This record gives sequence, structure tokens and C-alpha cells, in this order.
Amino acid sequence: MPQCPPEDSLEPRIEAILAADAPPEGWKEALGTLFERYLDQQRLLDRLTHIADRFQAAERERSQGYLASYEKKVRQLEKIVRISDQYQTMLHQLKERLEHASNYDSLTGLPNRRYMTMRLDEAASRATRKPDGGFAVMIADIDHFKDVNDNFGHAAGDQLLQAVARALELSLREYDLCARWGGEEFLFLFPACDATSAPVVAERLRQAVIGAQRIRDEIPAPTVSIGFTIHRPGEPVDTTLLRADQALYKAKDAGRNCVAGE
Amino acid sequence: MNNLDIAQTPSTPMVRADNEQGRVFMAGDSYPENPFEFFQPIIDWIDDFLKNDDRPLTFDLELIYLNTSSIRAMMDIFDRLEESHQGGRPVSVAWSYDPDNERVGELAEEFKEDCTFPFTIAPRS
Repeated sequence: MPQCPPEDSLEPRIEAILAADAPPEGWKEALGTLFERYLDQQRLLDRLTHIADRFQAAERERSQGYLASYEKKVRQLEKIVRISDQYQTMLHQLKERLEHASNYDSLTGLPNRRYMTMRLDEAASRATRKPDGGFAVMIADIDHFKDVNDNFGHAAGDQLLQAVARALELSLREYDLCARWGGEEFLFLFPACDATSAPVVAERLRQAVIGAQRIRDEIPAPTVSIGFTIHRPGEPVDTTLLRADQALYKAKDAGRNCVAGE
Repeated sequence: MNNLDIAQTPSTPMVRADNEQGRVFMAGDSYPENPFEFFQPIIDWIDDFLKNDDRPLTFDLELIYLNTSSIRAMMDIFDRLEESHQGGRPVSVAWSYDPDNERVGELAEEFKEDCTFPFTIAPRS
């Protein structure tokens, strides 16, 4: 900003004019110089104001640009999070489906052999720790199932398996477990079931199958033979299963549609 | 300008970018270990194509699972398409999905939301 030069004589001249009673010599010239200087200052001030205004506008624009791009980024992030969450939900549902598929039999909807083996191992290890953790294992096998397949086709066989599975499932209590063990074999785990109640429970299962829904009139009503046994704490699960199998053979040998213990 | 031909891996989708046809095809799952390294060549290819001439660009997508970084990369790609579209360039996206997995279609809808260029989503027949 231009400063008034120190040798500037205008100021004392104006002061002298103002101090005098009547306008002294040279007053007009001094006033003219003063007016010119006033106009210069006025122009300078205008320019200054103009530049400052533009700076301010640019600054405002810049911060608004920041705000806009910030808001855009936030919206973008929110969208990424939303989509990402949905993908996670999708994966979670897929995991549940796979988990179910790996543990359940697709035909009957019952737990499969894999799942039952896991649960039997758990029950056996619990039984070794807790004296009252004993459990019964039973195997039910549909009598003359092969005949149904041979005479009425595999679709009929499948329907029969479903009907028997449903009847067995309905006769269970909350903590009992029934799995499709193999072709026409079902395996049961009855927690806290002892030698006294095992034959009663087995008989209840046999009766339940007799009451199973008929799939077709010409197909004979299904019956099952059942072998039951009590797990002995400390023995491997395979030993218990072998005994249940032997009991099943006993029931088959006794003419089928009956229960036997071992 | 080169074509891109990236083979599918368990964690990255198949990518084919054909310069002559102006067509980009992406299919599969995407959760690359290094997302930047994977997507940068694709984004560079798109930028080159959009910059070099004014032919239409078409995307055929059969993407299934995308991790968060891949979602971001795809949004970047769609942003570029949107910008070109605003500038008058013909661009389009066709996203098809397995009808057994409706969710993928719903996710494609999320991507589509802010796009004003032609963006079709349909189950694969």
C-alpha cells in the first residue's frame, strides 16, 4: 500500500489553512491535491474490497466443494457397508444351509449318520464323567423293505421311508434323538434311559410304526424290528452299537415286527 | 489397446475385456488377497477405453460374492460409467444371476441405485 512520503508537505499546509481565520494564499491548490489524494485512496479501497470479496467467495466455494465431496464419500461408504452386510447375510445363510445339508438326511429330514455319530460320542464321553449319564441305543430296521422297492419301485420305497421316519419322530421326546443310520435303518439315542425302561420305549417305537400313515393300499403296512441295548460307561460307542446290532438280529430271528435287547 | 483376459481363481472372478467389441465380462466370486493389484488393471483398461474413442462400452456381469474391497472397486467402476454416461457416452450394464440365488439379484439392485445409464438385472435362464 503506498504510504505518504515523509517529506510530504500537504499535511502542514492543510493544518495551516484550517488554523487561519481567512483562506490563506494557495488554499485552492492544497485542496485540489487533497481531493485527488482522497479519490486515489477511494479507488484503492474499492479494489481492496473487491479482491477480499473474491478471496472470500473462492474460499467459500472451496469449503463447499470439500463438504460436497465429503458428503459423497460418506454416502458411498454407507452404501458399501450396506451391500457388504447383505453379502455377509448371504454367506451366513449359505453356511447354515450347508451345515444342515451335512448333518441331515435329505430324504427323511432326520439327522444323518455323521451327526448321530457325533452325538453318540458326546453322550459316551459324558457317561464316563457322570454316573447318571447312561443312555440307551436302539436300531430299528424296516421289515421286508426290499420287497417294497422290488414290487412297487424306489419312489414307493422312498415314500415308505418318509412315512416311517415321520411316525418314529413323532413318538420321541424332546431329548431323544433319531437318525437315518443307513438304507432302511434308524438309530436312536435315548438319554437317561435304563434297562427297565428300554424295552418299554422300544415297544412304543414299534407300535408307532404300525400306526404310520399308509402311502398306498396295495403296499403292506410297514413294521420294524428293533434291537436295544444300554451303553456301559467307559466302553467305546462301537461296542454299544455292535450289541444293538446283535439285538436287532435277535428280533429279526424271532420273526420280525418285535423288539429284543442285548 | 490390449484385451484383458484374467482366468478365474477360487478368490477372483474371470475377467475378459474386449477392445474391439467394447465389452467387459466378469464372472465368479471376488475376494482377492490384494484388491488393489487385482482391480487396478481393470480400472486402467476401462479408463483407457473411455478416453481413447467414443464407442459404446457394455458390461456383462455374473458376479456372485464380493468382499468389501471388491464392492468398493465395482462402485468405482460404475461411477466411471456414470460419468461417461453424463458426458453422452453410450454405456450399459447387464447383470445376470442364478435364479436359485435371488439375493445376488437384490445386491445388484443396490449397485444399480445411483446409476442413470441402462442397467438390467435378470435371472439367468
